[in-house]
Amino acid sequence: MVFPTIHISCPCADSISITPKPAKKKSRSHKAAEEEESEEEERFDPRSARSNFSLFPLESLLYCEDCNQIRCPRCVHDEIVCYFCPSCLFEVPSSAIKSDGNRCTRNCFSCPICFASLVVASTRDDQSGPYVLLCPHCHWSSSEIGIEFEKPTSITTQLAQKLKTVSTPSVTPAPSAPSDSYFPTISITPTISLPPNDAPRAPPTTAEMYQRLKVHYASQRASTGTDEFGSSNALSRLIGLYSSTSLTVGGPKPRSFSGGSGISKPLIGRDRKSEWSEMDHTLEIQNEDTTIAQLRKQGFAGTTSTAQRLNQGVPGPLFTQDVRPLAVLLRTKRSKRCRACRHILVKPESKVTTTRFRIKLVAMNYIPSLSISRLDPGSVSYNSLTPLTTHQFLLTVTNPLFDAINVTLATPQRTPGRFGTTVTILCPDFEVGANSDIWDEALGTGDAATGGKNTRKGKKTGNTGTVWDAGRNWTTVVIEIVPPLLPSEYTTDEAGGKDSPTEDDYLVQVPVSVRVEYETDVEREDGLGKEVKERREHTYWSVLGLGRIGKFGAPTTPLAVGTGGPVDVLGALGPSGVGLGRSSTYNVAKVGSSPPIVAGMVGMGVAGGLGKRNLK
Amino acid sequence: MPPKQTKGEYIETDTGNKVSRKSVILGSQNIILGGKTIIQADCTIRGDLRRTVAPGQQSGNVAIAVGRYCFLSRSSVLRPPGKIARGIYSYYPMKIGDHVFVGEGSVVEAALIGSYVHISKDCVIGKFTIIKDCVRIEEGTVIAPNSVIPSFSVVSGRPGVVVAELPETAVEGLERA
Repeated sequence: MVFPTIHISCPCADSISITPKPAKKKSRSHKAAEEEESEEEERFDPRSARSNFSLFPLESLLYCEDCNQIRCPRCVHDEIVCYFCPSCLFEVPSSAIKSDGNRCTRNCFSCPICFASLVVASTRDDQSGPYVLLCPHCHWSSSEIGIEFEKPTSITTQLAQKLKTVSTPSVTPAPSAPSDSYFPTISITPTISLPPNDAPRAPPTTAEMYQRLKVHYASQRASTGTDEFGSSNALSRLIGLYSSTSLTVGGPKPRSFSGGSGISKPLIGRDRKSEWSEMDHTLEIQNEDTTIAQLRKQGFAGTTSTAQRLNQGVPGPLFTQDVRPLAVLLRTKRSKRCRACRHILVKPESKVTTTRFRIKLVAMNYIPSLSISRLDPGSVSYNSLTPLTTHQFLLTVTNPLFDAINVTLATPQRTPGRFGTTVTILCPDFEVGANSDIWDEALGTGDAATGGKNTRKGKKTGNTGTVWDAGRNWTTVVIEIVPPLLPSEYTTDEAGGKDSPTEDDYLVQVPVSVRVEYETDVEREDGLGKEVKERREHTYWSVLGLGRIGKFGAPTTPLAVGTGGPVDVLGALGPSGVGLGRSSTYNVAKVGSSPPIVAGMVGMGVAGGLGKRNLK
Repeated sequence: MPPKQTKGEYIETDTGNKVSRKSVILGSQNIILGGKTIIQADCTIRGDLRRTVAPGQQSGNVAIAVGRYCFLSRSSVLRPPGKIARGIYSYYPMKIGDHVFVGEGSVVEAALIGSYVHISKDCVIGKFTIIKDCVRIEEGTVIAPNSVIPSFSVVSGRPGVVVAELPETAVEGLERA
């Protein structure tokens, strides 16, 4: 894990407001703000199980202008704009998607062994036929499975024909025993023991289960007939929907791969009837003897890996001699809609190769971005923060808006979790200038000049209540943390005990509530009237991953000071003491080097100094 | 990388390219740098590997074209791809877009690299690879020759396969990188 990390919480998990349309934007936002205020009282816990799913980096968040809300990948709807082959970059019409099994029908194939894209290569020196599909990475060739082509074009159709006629050394019909289908590696482990003949029947394969389900529904449909619920229609429609896709169960390209491979054979049939009977028939054959014989002959080198098998369809072949070149899976371009108000947030251009967007409402352009760096770079690595020592970080808030914003940062004094880290933001309330034109500032005109008041300019003093540094549209404040001493550091044997910290407890994750207030010109839809300033605010939780708690490097320091003791002292004494402690210039800001004024801090200072030295 | 380079380590061109004196640049007449491109020490750029033509025949004399704001980290190699065509081994021009970052020790033999491409360190970009715009290639990736990487991809592994998609903000993210 690379520190520092900054994630922003999308509140969609708490308030899935999939309402058709907010009745009144303004009143709703007010209400939402009130709700949020009440929510703020209950703190955001980055360690709760749900937080995992609501935290995103700012880059992957969108912003709905109508809802004035962050939208994360979970609370947007994806709509496919176009399908294209990632290898030849040709667009595939959506009408052909289903029949082609979501794969490219040009000459795009990926290697069944290493998944690199295959090239058509000649087997002769003079570049004449026959041709093979050759993997440029692992040098797998389709001649290994006995497939060669007469001409280098239209490989797909040629391959389909080949697979119909080719006789692979051993076509093992339904090669996997039913129990192998889900975790197929079991069957090739050396300690495999054959289930005795009277063993209970193994769980059915996916295809088998599908067939059973289908029979079940068919019988149900027959029994219900046309009942008042109209469910039979719905059922038949559903079955119709799936039965066409069920063809793809057996192999990646059912239409063209028909017959050749033993895997897809059972599922292929012009009419559904034959497909049924063949299916039932082949599943009964579980000739393990041939599989074992083949395994003896080929060894483990001849078997496929799980990834290779899964890529070949369900159930995949057990031996590398049964693999087939895979037509490349298609990719999509997608537009995204807000789930709540259905407005489009992202709309890419439909042309495959362009990277432009017609609509792109990303959160980066609406909410201030945070960045973290250490105040004393290089002294301590993020991966081993010394416990019980004050670590100072610079938190920079950058404003993407064209209006100056007021930012209020809030953080719990102790981070949630069993071993809380004490956090202090030295200047929680500050202003960030507007994201005006750089030239405005340079030329001394415009808002930026007024925004960049001298008082706001950074003095890098780090006193309480003042910002560390500020620029055109960014402001930096100091954030201090005191990581706790984890019990494992002073207890030697208590492994697995209740108090022993888990991996998560070592992480310093600081939840910070960022509240943004600003006044902006209201965009009037009628285009008339005087300029109206609207006051807007936005609050979001972010989680700063500041690092990992390291070893407590100084055994001579008084360990009797509990985690709570000095932390409280520091918290009560507050940043004034800390500020004094840091009055020395910041690049030599070793806590131990400055005259500490609190008894508790003496120990910590020494500890910090020693710790650093030990770490070096 | 030390924070401050010793003075005079870089040669700055009129268009703002900064080329380390310790880099190895062969066939510089066949190399085009778009401007504001930085080439660090120990980089190798093989501009001398260009299309073999029959004597007397004029061919395009650009072997490597690099766009603006590119960054070639230490010990990276740019080599035009070559193959046998009509019995002669010939090299083909390599084109690199803007805002392309090539990490330390990476070897690039691509035919085309779009804009906003981030190649992490210790990667191998195989011959005649085409990388479209907005792609991130993770550390240690080996991209097989003749591969095509579509836009907004994250590529990883040996051989490199697309493992994830980049968000819509990829351009902004890769511009700064």
